[in-house]
Amino acid sequence: MEHRIQFAAWLLLFCGCILSGSCKKDISQQVIYDNVIYEITPVSVYANNAEKTKQKSAEHFISILYSNLTDKSIPADDLGNLAELALSVGDKELMNRVLLENMLADPQISIPSNEEMRSNITAFVNGTYLKFYLRNPTAYEAYYFQDLINHDSTITSEMVYAAFAQSNEYLFY
Amino acid sequence: MKRRAFIRKAGLATAGMFAAPYLLPEGRLFAGTGDRIVNHVVVVLFAGGVRQQESIDQAYLSAQGLSTTGNLLRNMLVGNEPSSNLVYMPWQPVLTTPLAKQGTLFKEMRYASGPTGHFNGHTAAITGNYTQSSLDLNQNPDFPTVFEYYRKHTDPARSAVNCWWMSEGLGPYPALNYSRNGMYGAMYGANYIRPATTFGSYGLDYLNDAITFQPDDVTKIESIKSFLDKNFDRTAADYPGIINTADDREKIKAFIYDTLNKTSAGQIEWPLPPGISTAELTGDLTNIAYAWQVLQKFMPELLVINSFDLDACHFNFTNYLSYMHKADYGVGWLWNKIQQDPVLKNDTIMICMPDHGRNELPNSVYDVNGLRAFDHTSDNNSRRLFGLIVGPAGKVKQDQVVGNDADPVGETIDLVPTIARILGFHEYIPAGLLPGRILEEAFV
Repeated sequence: MEHRIQFAAWLLLFCGCILSGSCKKDISQQVIYDNVIYEITPVSVYANNAEKTKQKSAEHFISILYSNLTDKSIPADDLGNLAELALSVGDKELMNRVLLENMLADPQISIPSNEEMRSNITAFVNGTYLKFYLRNPTAYEAYYFQDLINHDSTITSEMVYAAFAQSNEYLFY
Repeated sequence: MKRRAFIRKAGLATAGMFAAPYLLPEGRLFAGTGDRIVNHVVVVLFAGGVRQQESIDQAYLSAQGLSTTGNLLRNMLVGNEPSSNLVYMPWQPVLTTPLAKQGTLFKEMRYASGPTGHFNGHTAAITGNYTQSSLDLNQNPDFPTVFEYYRKHTDPARSAVNCWWMSEGLGPYPALNYSRNGMYGAMYGANYIRPATTFGSYGLDYLNDAITFQPDDVTKIESIKSFLDKNFDRTAADYPGIINTADDREKIKAFIYDTLNKTSAGQIEWPLPPGISTAELTGDLTNIAYAWQVLQKFMPELLVINSFDLDACHFNFTNYLSYMHKADYGVGWLWNKIQQDPVLKNDTIMICMPDHGRNELPNSVYDVNGLRAFDHTSDNNSRRLFGLIVGPAGKVKQDQVVGNDADPVGETIDLVPTIARILGFHEYIPAGLLPGRILEEAFV
């Protein structure tokens, strides 16, 4: 009986040695981010704008616009109040423009300065497309903005943002 | 960041260049304009459900077991005010001659079909078709609205700024500015606004500091937007809501900012008697005050507004009486303003009509004065209503009363054909869409 107990103890010790890692395997983990936009929540990038088939509701538009301009989530009360404001005018595009103009005057907004825009136009254009359209610009689109900003010194980052926020593609997701 | 802000009106200068030629689906450049009676129609849906007893019958408190009678609507109707048991603050009429003497009173009309709900009542009045839906569906009606008939069958050069729907409240009412009808729809809709929100605390809080781009900047933004839009095959027309021309949009935007500025500066003229505090304002009077702002600014050919505070009758009969009295003052005030305007003065017809009536028997609720409340649950009494059509002598028959309890004349659904007749587009509306008739009795 005593031999059996000793044998079992040795057996357990032997197995323990094997399992306890006399040989450790190096595990490498590869983290792939499908998209990173200004280090906020990673979201999927559209391959192209044809994937956008659904209209944003008033709440979607306001909430996303606020986030795009401030890099923060809109407080729930503000969203509710602004949604009611949007409902109170029949021309939705007009009201979206009014809301945009007021958000652009908000001291909390975060827009690249003109100097930042002109110092690296490619980064600005790519960032703007990702921010507003959740996709990368096509080569032609990138060329258009490179050319526009290079050749017209009066174009401001604010104007570019205003155009994106009022564009048809921005109304869809 | 450094930001440029300029005076708000600067953007107007660029507006005109975006207006596009307008081609009707039928291929004609412009719709025909028929024979008109006048060029402006103002409709007041004296809404919220109004009992004939307290309005036309001037019964005041007789339904409450008290003998006192009297006229609460002294700007609209002929008759002396109650002399005792006052549960409201009587305001001196703003009009020296009641509206009933300046036009035709359809004393007994009918809301003939469908539930007597506010959504149904408004829909029937604005589309000219009764609806059987019993829910406040927050969606556009099936039948075309009077706004779409007007815009499709009248000279479209006048555009959407010539056609307004202004409601006291939100709920389903924003959806009444155009229908889901495939022949009409948003492209023919009215400009909708709810002043209590746009120019109320929300508007003042959130729309008080807008950036304004210079006209040159606006042009460049439009140019960039145009480039972006060319690369996306869905258009803004897919977006719900009516579309104004770029020119009109700038005008409306400027109007919104200007009116907000006037509101915050205390420059809005309120429909209140001299010496009465703004604390006495109701939602109805607020809506009427801003309707006058719209009339002054755009001189629209068609403006429809509603009152709604009268719906307090569900639980507070005292307030119902008070709000009815104040709404009457607002109607008189608005007519007075129209008569002081050189453009609108002899060229406007105003129509007042409730959305529907109210029950004959009270519910179980008593207010602080011990007065019983009334609902509107489709009994015969809630199908009784009146209509008042006032306008210039020579166009509208003056001091005329049509119909009585035993012989009702007119229905809710007659409002749309009557407006169409006044503005000269009735003959262009396809047959079968409007079951009502023109209230010809009112016109000379």
